[in-house]
Order: sequence, then C-alpha cells, then structure tokens
Amino acid sequence: MIAENTDYRYEIMDMKNPYDVRKVSDFLSPLGFDFTPDQIDYTVILINLNDELIATGSLKNNVLKFVAVATKFRDTTAFSFIVKHLSERVLLNSKTAFVFTKPENIEKFMSIGYAEIASAPPTYALLEFGYKLIKDYKAYLKSKRINRLAQKVASIVVNCNPFTNGHKYLIEKAAAENDVLYVFVVEEDQSVFNFKVRWKLIEEGISHLKNVVLLRGGNYIVSSVTFPAYFLKSEKADLITQKQTELDLNVFVKHIAPILGINKRYVGTEIYCKTTAEYNKSMKNILTKNGIELVEVQRLAIGSEDNYVSASKIRKAIKDENLDSVLDFLPDSTKAFLLSKDSEQIRNRIKASSSRH
Amino acid sequence: MVIKQQAQAGTFESSDMLVLVEPVSEGTGRVIELHSPVMVQFGKSIKEEINNALDEYEIKDVRLICNDKGALSATISARVETAIRRALQIQDGVLPS
Repeated sequence: MIAENTDYRYEIMDMKNPYDVRKVSDFLSPLGFDFTPDQIDYTVILINLNDELIATGSLKNNVLKFVAVATKFRDTTAFSFIVKHLSERVLLNSKTAFVFTKPENIEKFMSIGYAEIASAPPTYALLEFGYKLIKDYKAYLKSKRINRLAQKVASIVVNCNPFTNGHKYLIEKAAAENDVLYVFVVEEDQSVFNFKVRWKLIEEGISHLKNVVLLRGGNYIVSSVTFPAYFLKSEKADLITQKQTELDLNVFVKHIAPILGINKRYVGTEIYCKTTAEYNKSMKNILTKNGIELVEVQRLAIGSEDNYVSASKIRKAIKDENLDSVLDFLPDSTKAFLLSKDSEQIRNRIKASSSRH
Repeated sequence: MVIKQQAQAGTFESSDMLVLVEPVSEGTGRVIELHSPVMVQFGKSIKEEINNALDEYEIKDVRLICNDKGALSATISARVETAIRRALQIQDGVLPS
C-alpha cells in the first residue's frame, strides 16, 4: 500500500549546501530535469516514513519550477501537497503564482485550479493561479486602447536601460509609419535603471508623439516569468533561449496582440546582445506565422557608419566615467537625468557591477 | 468587519477548497469567484454556504476566490471562515513567517 497523506513530512532544502543540491538533482535528473540551483531561491522536498524522497518543487520569485513526483507516488496527494505548499508561499506576498513546466504537465496543474497561459511544445508551458490573472492585464490593455478603427497598428517592446536616441529613433520611425504605436516597457526591475526611471525617461522623450501609447509590460512581456533566460548573465544562444523566446511570443500572439489589434512589431537590428539577436530571429518565424509583420530597423548610428547607438555603450561609458563621449547618443530627458544628482545612486551601482543588464 | 490583508486557507486536494481572500475598496460589495467541478449541480448552495460564513463576520466588501474540488458544506464553511479570520488578522497562518 502506498503511504497515507499523514505519513509525509516536508523539508526545506538549503541551496548553499552541496549535499542538499545533490539530493535534489539526483532525484530530478532521471525524471528529465536539469536542475539549476543558482536560478532558484527556495526548494522543498517531500519524504515518507521510509525516508524515501517522493517529490520536490522549487521557487524562483513567484514562479514554481522543478515540480516533480517520483513515478511510484504519482497517484498519491504528493503532487498537490507540493503545489499547495509553494503556491501558498508565493501568494502570501504576491498576487499571482506562476508555473513553468513541461506541456505534458499542463493537465495535472489545470486539474487543481491553475490556468494555462501559453506553451512552447515540447519544452515549456506557463500556467497561473491567484488574485491577478492575465485577464486583468488584458483589461488594462483594453482600457489603454486608442483609435479602434486604425488600420496600421504597430508595437515595440523596449527595456530602455537607459533610454537612448536609438530607442527614440525607432519609436519615432514606427510612429510615423503607423496609425497607432503601442510601446511596451519591460516592467521587471532587474536592470540597473529601475522601471520607474526608465518609464519616466521614455515618457518625457516621446511626449511630442500623439499616436504613441506607453504600456506596462507586466508579468507577460519579456518578464522573468515568460522569459527567464533574458535576465541571466550568460549569453548562451541555445535551445533554452529559443524555446523561451517562443513561449514569450506565444503569450504575445495569443493574448496581447488581439486585444490591441496589433499587426506589426518593430525591432532594431541587433549587434551586441546575443540573447536579443536570437530573440529577433525566432520572433520573425513565429510572428509571421500568426499574421504579424516583423519590421527590422537598421540601428541608428551617429557620426561614422558603424558608431551605433546602444544602451550598453552608455552603461559602459558610465562605468568608465566617460559619459561625455556618449552624450550624442542621449535624448534630452536621459541626458538631464544622468547629469543630475538623482542618478548618482544608479551610476555608482553601474560602476560597481560587471553584469550585462 | 473590514478585511485587512490578503489571506488564504485550504488545499488543492480532492474534497477540499482553496480560498483566497483579498481586501477591496469600500462599497464594492462581495465579489465571489467560484470555480468548481460541480458548479452546475451545487454552485448555488456552495455560494450560499460562502455567504453564510461572510454574514457571520459581517463582511460587506471582499473579494473571494474559491477553488473548489468537491468540498462538503462543513469543509466549505471551515475554509472560508479560516481564510476570513486570517484576513482579519485574528488568526495566524500555518506558515512560519
């Protein structure tokens, strides 16, 4: 007979302890998971009275990952115990709990109350549960929609870390070529310039454009939920990135574009960031398949032909205390901010850091 | 009484109900979102059960998300009551903070 519910006990793993990490990854690898403890901040395991490890699950912020149950215990309540334990923890401080899993598990999660957002078969699926769901984000988008009769409706997704003349050029060009332009700003606060600052600089920089609407990216556009690899420090352009790109775009195509009637997406040609370059390539495939045109715009260069404007150049200049060399790259809003005292903290952080974002 | 914070009670198990409580602005009323596999058969009586529990604590404005998995009425009222008590900060949760 299989153990009763009451015979379980759970244990929280210490991801700094190599023994614990090994215990979890040894359990996960035969089940087809490549456990990455550095991308996790909480892990729980479930043990029965015979000291057998029967299930595990992990959290990264508000996302459930690596939820797995030993084959022998699949018909017990181990699965819902793990999911309940992790969801409860997430929902204490957050409005939504997400699950990042394989498509074959979609039904298992749906049977206990999670709802599917999108998937990228055969690797990833994304589900959610909680107070605030994608329908609330869609309601927000609906409330921001302008000019419903517009024929040419374009979109751009930007991080703007920080806002440069390159971004401004791209936005101005797209705004001129279309009736309406929706600019999604990545909301994730993992960049040195936080969301509030990035939003403010863009808002000031594009205030002269009347057909442009600035939108929060929420959890659903290039966030660490839909696209974790984007925020990782490595620049590996591999299958993982490709599949996550697909997941992120499927959310866009399935939920976001139809609400706003978007039929074009603009991107700058990518030279520096491999993750973004890979993203652009997959984007073309998936968007075209779904009737959205991808418009690639040659990057803005100033002075000589290969002197491209790029936000990473700006961050590098700040790091090298050589801001004067890139002033040409900056619109007034960003220039004023970087030269002011308000940006002191951010500048110091850039000087101290070595990461890409 | 007035809901003070976000709270939850219950599990995803079969025959149980997971209840999420969220404060809303005054005058909104009771927003009850019920998901149940037996919605057609018992939706009405489950809602009645939930409303009874809310009446007991005289709660006017609240958002409840109830994820039912075929809970019996005693379970429903216990889960809703616990969630409300946690949201009113008169009962502690089970997780160590």
